[in-house]
Amino acid sequence: MVPALMRKTWRDDRRAILGWAAGVAAFTAVYSAFYPQFQGAAELKQDALPKGVLDFLGVADFLSPAGYLQASIFGLLGPLLVLMCTVTVVARTIAVPEEGGGMELLLANPVSRTAFAGQRLAAAGLAVTAVAAIPWLLLMVIVPAVDMDIPLSSVAAAGFGLVALAWCFGGLAFLVGAATGRRASVLAVTGIVAVATYMANAVSGMAQGWSWLRWWSPFHYFLGTDPLRTGWHPGSLLVLVLAGAVAVVAGVILFDRRDVGV
Amino acid sequence: MSPMTPDTAVLTEGLTKFYGSRRGIEELDLAVHAGEVMGFLGPNGAGKTTTIRLLLDFLRPTRGHAVVLGLDPRRDKAALHSRIGYLPGELTFPGRERARDLLRFLADLRGGVPWSRIGDLADRLQVDLAHPVRTMSKGNKQKVGLIQAFMHEPALLVLDEPTSGLDPLMQQEFLGMVRDARTAGQTVFMSSHVLAEVQEVADRVAIVRDGRLAAVERVESLGRRAVRSVEIHFADPVAADEFAGLPGVSGVSVTGPVLRCTVDGRLDPLVKAAARHEVVDLLSSEPDLEETFLSFYYHSEGDRDGARADA
Repeated sequence: MVPALMRKTWRDDRRAILGWAAGVAAFTAVYSAFYPQFQGAAELKQDALPKGVLDFLGVADFLSPAGYLQASIFGLLGPLLVLMCTVTVVARTIAVPEEGGGMELLLANPVSRTAFAGQRLAAAGLAVTAVAAIPWLLLMVIVPAVDMDIPLSSVAAAGFGLVALAWCFGGLAFLVGAATGRRASVLAVTGIVAVATYMANAVSGMAQGWSWLRWWSPFHYFLGTDPLRTGWHPGSLLVLVLAGAVAVVAGVILFDRRDVGV
Repeated sequence: MSPMTPDTAVLTEGLTKFYGSRRGIEELDLAVHAGEVMGFLGPNGAGKTTTIRLLLDFLRPTRGHAVVLGLDPRRDKAALHSRIGYLPGELTFPGRERARDLLRFLADLRGGVPWSRIGDLADRLQVDLAHPVRTMSKGNKQKVGLIQAFMHEPALLVLDEPTSGLDPLMQQEFLGMVRDARTAGQTVFMSSHVLAEVQEVADRVAIVRDGRLAAVERVESLGRRAVRSVEIHFADPVAADEFAGLPGVSGVSVTGPVLRCTVDGRLDPLVKAAARHEVVDLLSSEPDLEETFLSFYYHSEGDRDGARADA
């Protein structure tokens, strides 16, 4: 039996969740299903852009199927969409109702603070996981359908990587919301960290002497192992999951200790 | 720490809350007896809501502590909140559902409440639960808030400005609900900045001012001391000294046929004196809390029953 608070969370967030799910599904389907038609254009892009720019965009090449999927879906736009969904949905666990005032009535019920935070996050986390898993699930069907030559286990590895990336940033967003209770802080901190670590990962591959930077970037653990070509790297994915889990635990502890709705 | 007796519903000792350097409440010692209705009065910003939010564990005290229904608000939050009905002062409902669905959800959170009880309360307060709460008027939202506070028949009702937004008829209905709650053995702790509405149902009132507990009084003793401002319009001009010497009457000013004064206690002497002239109109306004409070202080030092003051 799902707790009432989780069902309520889904009911209140369903428009946002369904909207993001539709957007991510359309994006994935359009980009991947048109792979055959993009082939000609891809060659032009490949020639037009200097190697350095391609590296910065996280694109090894546009020509191979793996290169194409990475460039179109996993390199930038996919994570961008999924992380925007993650941050906005996770912000609604604590920060949004706390600022809006609706949290008093929720918290005035016989649940401990910890259980409240846990159930709100579990509901948001399941929704975010479902949205983040959409590229994975769709590509398992579309990749064979359009004759892309990528092993399905590699597609799954990259697809799960996107889910793990969402957990990592979702954990951070939850931590900021649980600690501050402010939506703007959640969006600002998570957004800045996402952009900064994305750039750190890109720069580390290009500039001599900066390669250590990538160890600080979740994007390195997601794509740095080149999952579309090399398959599963459980160690890297575990880093993402653990980072998210640590942030969640810290968030629950801080939320349990502070004043609410000041 | 003093022992918590079973007949104490709320006990605070040295309860203090600062928001940074800003004062919320300071050194609040308060006891609410089980089964009584206590009014919690004070001007806006005096610290009423801060106190209530400390009792519910939304805020954590800077110093001191509170014991509610024998439990620690923080450690025993879940157990305690199952026995409390709470109406927030700033009522905002989560989500966009119909009132009916929202109440069903809140009842589920409490492990289920018979729907007939919710329906009875809705009938009593005359609110249609088929509308989304977001679209309701302030008064109807307040009614939904009252329903969710009363629906599980909690041992303790903590109500922050419960009558705000209710029309006079519904205020009376609400006061009836409070009386019924007391009859059923429930304890009610309700805040207000208007003495009159609390006076009708409360057994005792606690008055806070500038974050400190100024007095705890039985309601009867406050009522006797109530100050009214009275304005009498006569048909012809009157003389001020005719009224200045009357018992309880002070601050007499006369402008032509209009007399203004304040009356402390019974109105009878003033009315008898006024009756000698032709009276066109008589206006008496309820004492506001500040006036009551000041008169309480100026007239009653050293003669309070059961009062505690640390100001």
